[in-house]
Amino acid sequence: MRTNYRVHSGTRFQLLSPDQLQELFDGVLHVLETIGLEVHHEEARAILKEAGAWVDGLRVRIPSYIVKDALQKAPRSFTIFARDGNPAHDIHIGPGRAHFGPGPTPPNFIDIDTLERRPYVRDDAAIVAKVCDALPNIDFVESLGTISDVHPDLAASYEFATMFPNTSKPIVAWSYDKDDAEDIHRIAVAEAGGQEAFELRPNYVHYCEPRSPLVSTEEALNKLIFAARHRVPVIFTPCPLAGGTAPITAAGIIIQAAAESWMGLVVAQHVRPGTPFFMGGVLSVMDMKDMILAYGAPELSLMMAGITELAHFAGLPLWQTGGCTDSKILDEQAAIEGSLSVFFSALTAGDLCHDVGYTESGMTGSILQTVMMNEAIGYARRITRGIEVNEETLAVEVINNVGPNGHYLREPHTRRHYKSEFWYPKLMDRRNYEEWEAMGGSRMRERVIAFTHDILASHQPSPVKPETLHTIEQVLADAEARVRESA
Amino acid sequence: MSDILQSISQAVIDGDLNEIGELTEDALDDGNSAETILNEGLMPGMDYVGVEFRAGRMFVPEVLRSARAMQTAMDILRPLLIADNVQMVGKIILGTVKGDLHDIGKNLVGMMAEGAGFEIKDLGKNVDPDTFVNAVKEYEPDIIGMSALLTTTMRSMEHTIKALEEAGLRDRVKVMIGGAPVTQDFANKIGADGYASNASSAVELAKQFVGAA
Repeated sequence: MRTNYRVHSGTRFQLLSPDQLQELFDGVLHVLETIGLEVHHEEARAILKEAGAWVDGLRVRIPSYIVKDALQKAPRSFTIFARDGNPAHDIHIGPGRAHFGPGPTPPNFIDIDTLERRPYVRDDAAIVAKVCDALPNIDFVESLGTISDVHPDLAASYEFATMFPNTSKPIVAWSYDKDDAEDIHRIAVAEAGGQEAFELRPNYVHYCEPRSPLVSTEEALNKLIFAARHRVPVIFTPCPLAGGTAPITAAGIIIQAAAESWMGLVVAQHVRPGTPFFMGGVLSVMDMKDMILAYGAPELSLMMAGITELAHFAGLPLWQTGGCTDSKILDEQAAIEGSLSVFFSALTAGDLCHDVGYTESGMTGSILQTVMMNEAIGYARRITRGIEVNEETLAVEVINNVGPNGHYLREPHTRRHYKSEFWYPKLMDRRNYEEWEAMGGSRMRERVIAFTHDILASHQPSPVKPETLHTIEQVLADAEARVRESA
Repeated sequence: MSDILQSISQAVIDGDLNEIGELTEDALDDGNSAETILNEGLMPGMDYVGVEFRAGRMFVPEVLRSARAMQTAMDILRPLLIADNVQMVGKIILGTVKGDLHDIGKNLVGMMAEGAGFEIKDLGKNVDPDTFVNAVKEYEPDIIGMSALLTTTMRSMEHTIKALEEAGLRDRVKVMIGGAPVTQDFANKIGADGYASNASSAVELAKQFVGAA
């Protein structure tokens, strides 16, 4: 029997020391208490004032004890459930668990047949959902685009309505405002079997984005308050640009982004204590040569690791970022930037790592990038799983049995462990040259494209309930009527 | 196919060492000939394993388990097959060539070939040309398989082929070679009959040599 023995059940990684994290934490509280944010939402200001914040016109400053109280109310661990009850598709949020999925809203999409960049259309949402449903290392689903072939106000409603029947993995939904947030919620609740059933087993997450620097926008707060009232797990994530809309230094952008996110935290926890809340945001650099938000920058991964550690220090899950690239096509740059950021994100155990499949600095979604990254995530997950050390894995008895000059291929020990100890790639080629050549000598990108088509031809996501299909039709009809009336 | 033969196929696929011997005895008791059990029970099981392995759905440890199940049954059937004068798949002599102590690949070929029904005589490693020649005289194999990992030792393959020629045995056996540095070009150059780039294609090649493919 072991005693006083410490086990690391995965690869250890720590960027910041406890002292540094405490200093960042205090920095966030200081920004919220002394500088404050503009809150462009009357009801939210009233909620914050009632909670004990100082409200001066639009500017809201929050005493640190109120922020700490909100942190204490927000859960660190909770579950987002697969709509069909398939436990393999549930997401358990908690320490040491990293999950991956695509990102929201690029205007363009890489057509999987022509491989050309074009506007994102409704059919793409079905493709993305179905492919993600089949990929073993993709845990949650986002659309990778903004639907361009429906009424512009209804892009988010159509997106969710199209994706929901095509995947039973939890969807991270976005919306423009409250109306489309309601459309989405009606569909999810229909499948869950009512609001109360939904609250016990939430089956999607809602995404809200405040504006940097230091502004909580009306739309973001509308969505946040709606989510909290209906106990929808919610993400409140700014997208600051170091050197543009945030300090250029990593520590500075981290505390500003955290302050922006925690304004939403305080509102949500006062609307409904215990609302599952994901801290944001997406931190990257404004490239000082090309003037873009760089999605392939090492600083993105580094700053995201810093804010992930701060979130975990404060007791919150984090909305991580990785698997993205500034490349325009599925090429070596896309593979390098995507794979390294996926690996680094996996090391941090950031809770939901999104943007797997972002290309061209977030301007173009590519499910092909997601499929390629599914492989990189598998690779990363094998490493982060670490090395197990016990009598069975030390294998001294097996070493003794085989002895000098023997081999291990036929040992029961080998058979017991060859599937769990090794990761087997799906698309990475390990054949010898002759076999590789005989099989057509394909490139990685060709295998990615072929595999994507294979999934679409063969994968059948589990269906939604018939009454949910009916609700979807009704929701879309109501939404169309709404935009006709307001026109 | 009868139920018992189907069970034998399944036991091979599952690598079920507990069941395979008893199933083979039962099949004989039921009046099946050894040849029928081999051709309609064991071989279809191994064929399935081969297909699954090439498709990436079975892995080496599982294939070797199946091969061992096949061998367990063959230990029972072999005397009967010989008595019935049934043509066996073939006999292979294997060895890692002189100067080379790397034998994991050669072992893999041996185990997989056993699984395909071949009889294997493994001469081990660091096998010099004379030892190969003597073994050919003694065991009268259909095939010799030579393996090398080092570029410095692979030339010993050529010496073995020369030694076989000098002993007048070259046309009695097929010579196949393999190993990391070995290529088809090298095989052609030294006058080997064939080259395989991995264990499962080595078995396919051996089957072609004996007309069993």
